[in-house]
Order: sequence, then structure tokens, then C-alpha cells
Amino acid sequence: MPAATSKNAIAIEKGSSLGRDAWLRLRKNHLAMASLWFTVFIVFISFILPLVPGIPNPNVTHPDLQSLPAFTSAKSMEGVEVFYLLGSDHLGRDVFSRILHGGRVSLAVGFLATFVSLTIGVVYGAVSGYLGGRIDAAMMRVVDILYALPFIIIVIILTTYFGNQLWLLFVCIGAVEWLTMSRIVRGQVLSLKRQEFIEAARSLGLSQWRILFRHLIPNTLGPVIVYTTLTVPAVMRLEAVLSFLSLGVQPPDASWGSLIKEGADLMGSDPALLIYPALVFGATLFSLNFLGDGLRDALDPKSSKD
Amino acid sequence: MLRPRTDRTGQGRLLRLTLSSLLLLILLPLASCRQESRVERATREKILLLGNGAEPKALDPHLVSSVGDANILRALFEGLVINHPESDTLHEPGVAERWEPNADFSEWRFFLRTNAKWSNGDPVTAHDFTYAYHRILHPEMAAPYASMLYFLKNAEAFNRGEIKDFAEVGVKAVGDHELVCTLDNPAPFFPDVVKHTTWLPVHRGTIEKFGKMTDNYTEWQKPGNHVGNGPFQLAEWRINAHVKARPNPHYWDAANVKLKGIDFYPIESPFTEEKAFRNGLIHLSYSMPESLIESYRKQENSPLRIETYNGSYFYRCNVTQSPTDNADFRRALAWAIDREVIVKYVTRGGQTPAYAFTPPSEEGYHPPQVVGYDLEKARDYLKKAGYTSGKDVPEFVIIINTLEAHKNIAMAIQDMWKKNLGIEKVRIENQEWKVYQQTVLDMRYDVARAGWIGDYVDPQTFLGMWVTKDSNNNTGWSNADYDRLLRESSRLSDPAARLAKLAEAEAVLLDGMPVLPLYWYTRVYLLHPDVRNWHPLLLDNHPYKHIGLVPSEKGGPQ
Repeated sequence: MPAATSKNAIAIEKGSSLGRDAWLRLRKNHLAMASLWFTVFIVFISFILPLVPGIPNPNVTHPDLQSLPAFTSAKSMEGVEVFYLLGSDHLGRDVFSRILHGGRVSLAVGFLATFVSLTIGVVYGAVSGYLGGRIDAAMMRVVDILYALPFIIIVIILTTYFGNQLWLLFVCIGAVEWLTMSRIVRGQVLSLKRQEFIEAARSLGLSQWRILFRHLIPNTLGPVIVYTTLTVPAVMRLEAVLSFLSLGVQPPDASWGSLIKEGADLMGSDPALLIYPALVFGATLFSLNFLGDGLRDALDPKSSKD
Repeated sequence: MLRPRTDRTGQGRLLRLTLSSLLLLILLPLASCRQESRVERATREKILLLGNGAEPKALDPHLVSSVGDANILRALFEGLVINHPESDTLHEPGVAERWEPNADFSEWRFFLRTNAKWSNGDPVTAHDFTYAYHRILHPEMAAPYASMLYFLKNAEAFNRGEIKDFAEVGVKAVGDHELVCTLDNPAPFFPDVVKHTTWLPVHRGTIEKFGKMTDNYTEWQKPGNHVGNGPFQLAEWRINAHVKARPNPHYWDAANVKLKGIDFYPIESPFTEEKAFRNGLIHLSYSMPESLIESYRKQENSPLRIETYNGSYFYRCNVTQSPTDNADFRRALAWAIDREVIVKYVTRGGQTPAYAFTPPSEEGYHPPQVVGYDLEKARDYLKKAGYTSGKDVPEFVIIINTLEAHKNIAMAIQDMWKKNLGIEKVRIENQEWKVYQQTVLDMRYDVARAGWIGDYVDPQTFLGMWVTKDSNNNTGWSNADYDRLLRESSRLSDPAARLAKLAEAEAVLLDGMPVLPLYWYTRVYLLHPDVRNWHPLLLDNHPYKHIGLVPSEKGGPQ
């Protein structure tokens, strides 16, 4: 049966890629899958839902309709009929729509800042680990020094210098978060570069950059992806900390961090303002963490067996 | 399914641990209820615990300008005349036993008591006062509030460096115990003026031990070095923690000082302060979160106090740059703000919407009511300013200092401008208090939130600052008519004619509109029932020596 043999041959040749294996393993982890869908859902409603007509503008105030409970419909003194799905805040703004818009900022910061830190961290760590020797020592000392600088103070200095701007937040957080990433990648590269396939590549006469970017970095992806999913929540927490210190988004715009801060202040009189954003933020952080855990187990099956 | 058993029991243990720690968290406050609270102990020890807003900038009367700093200085120093505990218009003798003006109120003689002493035992003499006035007016001192002394003849010229010899300034010591103040213009209210912190004496020996006369922020204001002449002396100053004042044994009236000490706590957030009050950590709060006013109002024996306060809340406009350099544009902004909504729903502390700048509490003064809330007019002004619609207005920024209340007001106004005028590009920028003060001083802003608390009960304290290049003007606004009217008013000794002139000046100010008046303050704070003799005062300058602490009966608010 030549046809069958060839089919078998293809199947063997194709094998099972690392990604496919990982995906299959991830699918068995129900918690991680639920987290994945939840994350997708949150991203979707934060970015798409506010575009739907009928969702109120998060910054429109109705001071006479303040602190209404969820599912209330009321008429403001300007004669506008407003429906509050999750109630209104102390200026009569729609809490639901503020959470959606806050999610845009928080998620954007989370993903973009992580992307910045990923790019810097991976390249820096890989170069440092691959070149080794004195260059490695020097590059890692730079990381040590940056580690020692207090993050909050750097951000305060930068904001007083450039003004309080959102892009600064991305840069600041990204510029700090890459440090750990670079150490992880360096460690990976140190162990990989002594292995046979790199020696094979070198004996074939490939250039250093080609070895680095084609052969080394792709092999570090497992830990990198895992660490990335753990960085996103860390970055979102940092943004919340900064918003808490009034260094993040500027009023009247909101992020989840600033909504929680406002809610915490009004906890005594209007607990709903704290509970709703805190629930959404907490659930998102949890799901990203579970997803990260699931990915670690999926990409590195050895560690999950212990 | 494959999860090892140990894992599950581990989870169980974790759960139990969490539950028990939660239980502990709930039980702890219950247990601590039985203990004596800090306020109760302080009442027993007769130590007044005050929330005092921001961290003091200095304890040097010549460097401070904020209300909280003045609160501390009133404990550490004593001026010629001091505040009466029950009324702002009555005077109490301080270092001066008595005083008398000449016929047209342009020369005042203060007779100093011979038993007044500094906290190191030195006698307080008239020379200490002339030395202090020399220091604050010295151009090299660059004191932020030197203009308070411009009442004195030639003081302004000396402060600007046009006169070099201090002897020409209208203040003289006659012997050790008589001080003669010669004024530029008649001022029947002069005893009110000298109650202000800028008129306090300083101890020459102490200042010159740690530097030149004009050196700012030297070691002299540190505990141990600090010498004052007030009922209390500085015992401890820990940055962002507290300032502690303890009785001054050399104070001339020490026998009548009821307290054994005052602790000032810099608590900037009203929310934190309210929690501190509720948990028995302070006797008196500096402020109060608006959102909790309602629930405090409903309480029986509520510690909430809402009192008229001689202050005006407004927005400064920078008239030197676009778009706020256009008077019609500023008028459009002013007429598009619904002040009723702001005081009713945003500030919620019984404030009065301001349709003029000077608060109505000034006796006999009727501010012209020029501004209002009228969208027709607002849109007309916007057209006159050259904008066919609000969308054409270039972006501008409202600067506020970091405080929830300011942020809420700014967001409400931003939205009113958007709804009523269609102005979309308004940003709000938060700044820390000290940064904000510098930004306003350097005029690096478009619109800036501001508040002004009267230094004495007279419209002069509100209108004097809008004179061309006054150190508190900070808008770049200058109007020759206004300056002339103010000058003319100061020459009139007939009170009614003077106030009428000032009202005329205020009409000019409101027409030029370098400021957008928003509301007139009330003081909203929490007062523990143990505190005695704390009466409502327009200026809120309470003389601490009359304040007492008596444990209130059981069942009072905790």
C-alpha cells in the first residue's frame, strides 16, 4: 500500500510541534482554559463594547443623580433619561461605562508595557548570555544597578519633568519590568549555547546574529511566554499603584486602578464604587495568573510532574 | 483526579488559616474598644490633638502663607493684638496691653506689657517687632507675604528695594515698650491687621545665631533652637508625622493657659483624617470628605460642624496667554458654570454659590453681583471671543492641587463647559501642593484652582491682591482703573464711602474677569465634644490659650 505508507511517512515527518503539544496540554487544564476565555471576554468588552451606541459616555456628569444603585433608571434635571446598569458615582457618571473605559487603559498598559519589556528584556538578556565574559558581566551589572533604583521615585521624577502623560506610564513601566525578563533569558541562553545544535550551527559557519536570533531566542520562548503572562498582571498592578498615587491617568479619565482608589475613598458611604471595579480587576488578575500557571505547565511538562 | 492528597489537606489548612485570621481581624477592633483611645488619654493629659492639613512649610512667621502653618504659629508666637475666642471683630490684648490711634487712624501707638517674655526668658521688646518687620520686608528675604505690611509708610518701596534705609519705614520703637506704626493711609481696622501671622515678632538673638537676618530655612526653626513668645513652645517636629507644642513657662499669661500641649498632625487626605477622627486619634479635623457629610448630619450629637468661613473658592485665569487672554472667552467660561449644582451636589457643605469675588460676610459690604449662570450670554461671549463653536477652542488645562474635592469640582466644571459651550479639549492636571503653588507663582498654567481665606474681616484682604503685580495676583491681570479705585479707597477714612469705592473696584475686577468665582467657603470639620471654648469664627483663628479639654459625659460620639 504505497499510499498508506506515504501517509504514515508524512505523519511521522510532521510530528507534533512544541506549540501543538502545549496547546493540547493546556486544553486539559480547565482552570487555565476558563481563564483564557475570561481574559478574551474582558478584552473584548473593554475595547469593543464602548463603541456600541447607547453605552453612555463615561465622563458625562449628572451631579443630581449621584450614588444611585445598580439597575436604576432616572431623569436628570436637564431632562435626560439615564439608565445605570451598575449605578452611578458621586458625580452621577455611569459606573459600568467607566469600568469599561478604565479597562481599556489598564489592559492597554498591561499589554503594551509588557511588550516593551519583552522586547528589551529578551534582546538584552540573549546578547548578554551569548557573548559572555566581560561583556556579560558589565551588562548584568547595569541590570543590577537599575534594579537598585527605586521605581516610584523614578516615575515621580519623570512625571515632574515631562508632565503627567499616559505614554510615559507605558515607557516607565516597560523600562522597569524588562530587568527580570533579561535575567531569565540570559540564564536560558547560557545553558543553551553549550548544546550540540548550537555547536552544529557554529560549525556550519552561521553568523553570530543568525545563531542568536534563529536558534537561541526561539528556544527560550517557553519560559518567556510564561513570564510574559505573569508580567501583564504585575504591570497592571503597577499601573494601579501609580493611579493610586495620582500619577497615572488624569481625571476625568479612569483606569481600574484609579476607579479603585476613588472607590476606596468613598468606601464608607458608597461601597459599590469600590466593589465593582475591584471585582473586575481582581478577576482579570486571577485569570491572567492562572493562565500563566497553565502555560508554564503546558510548555514545560517536566516541572508540572513534580 | 490525579492531584495528590497532601495537596488537598494543604488547601484545607490554608482555608482554616485564612478563616481564623479573618476572625481575628473582626475581633481585634472589638477587643480594642475597651481600651482608652488616644483622644481620651490626651483629654486626660490636656493635650489637644489637631488635624492640620499639609505638612508645614516652615515655622518661621516670615516664610509661611498657608492656613495650616498659621495655625501652628499662633501657638508658638503672640502678636501685638490677638484673636478673641468668640468674635473676629473683637480684640484681645496680646503683647500690647493697650493701643490708641490718632484722629484719622493713620498712626497707631502700641503700649507693650513689661512682663512679656520669650520662651528662653528674654523680655519681648518693641525692638523685636521692628526687627521682625525689617526682616520680612527686606528684599533679600523675599518673604511671600510681605505685602501684608504694606500698610506701613514706605514699606512697599523698601520691600521693592527702592528705599535702602529701614529707618524711613513707618515703624518705630520708642523706648523698649512702645511701638509706633505710621501708616500710608488711614486704616480703622488696623488692630485686625496686626493679628495676622506676618506681624508676629521674632527673636533676633536666635535668628542671628544660625545665620544672617535674611537667611531662609536656617536651623533656628528646629526644636531646641526655636524661640517664640506664644503660650506654647516647639517641643518636637517630625516631618510628615507631627509638630508638638508644649507650654512656654515664660509666657506672661501662663497661669491662664488651660492646655498642657498641642499636637499638630499633617493629614492631607480628608478621608484619612475622618478615619483618624472616628478612631479617636484626633480631637479636631482640618477638613471633612463631602461624601460623608450627609451621614454625619443624621447622627445624634453629631461632631460635624459647618460654619461660615471668610473665604472664596475660584479659578485663576492666566491672562497672558491664549486662550484665556481673551476677556470675552473668560466671561463665557464664567457664565457657563452652574454654581448651584456645584455647591448642592459636589461640595455639599452648605457653601454659597459665588456671583462675585468677596464673600458677603464682610460687614456693610455689598459685592456687586455681576456673574451668573446664563447659557445665552455664555454662548454670546464665546462668539464675541471669536469662536463659532466650542470645538474651535484650543486645548487648555485646569491645574488643581491633589485633593478629591478639587478634582470633583474640576470634573464637574469640565463637563459643564463641554455640555454648555461644546468645549471639548479641557484637560485636568493634578499637582502636589508645593509643586502647584510654584506653578501658579510662575504662571505656567491656563486655568488654576484657587482659594483665598481673608486675613482679616474687610474686603481689602480680598481685593488688594488683584492690584497690578501684587505677589498674590499671579494672573498677569492689570487694570489702571482698578488700581486707581483701590488707591482712592485706601485714602478714605469714612467707612461707608470706602466700602462703596471697593465695591466699584470689584465691579471692574468682575468685568475683567481674571478669576472665575465659584463659591464662598464654609468650614466643614469634625469637633470632639471634649474640646471647650471652640467657637465658630469667620477667620477660624482660634486663640489656643482659651481652649480647654474636659472629658465629656459617657454616651457621646466615639
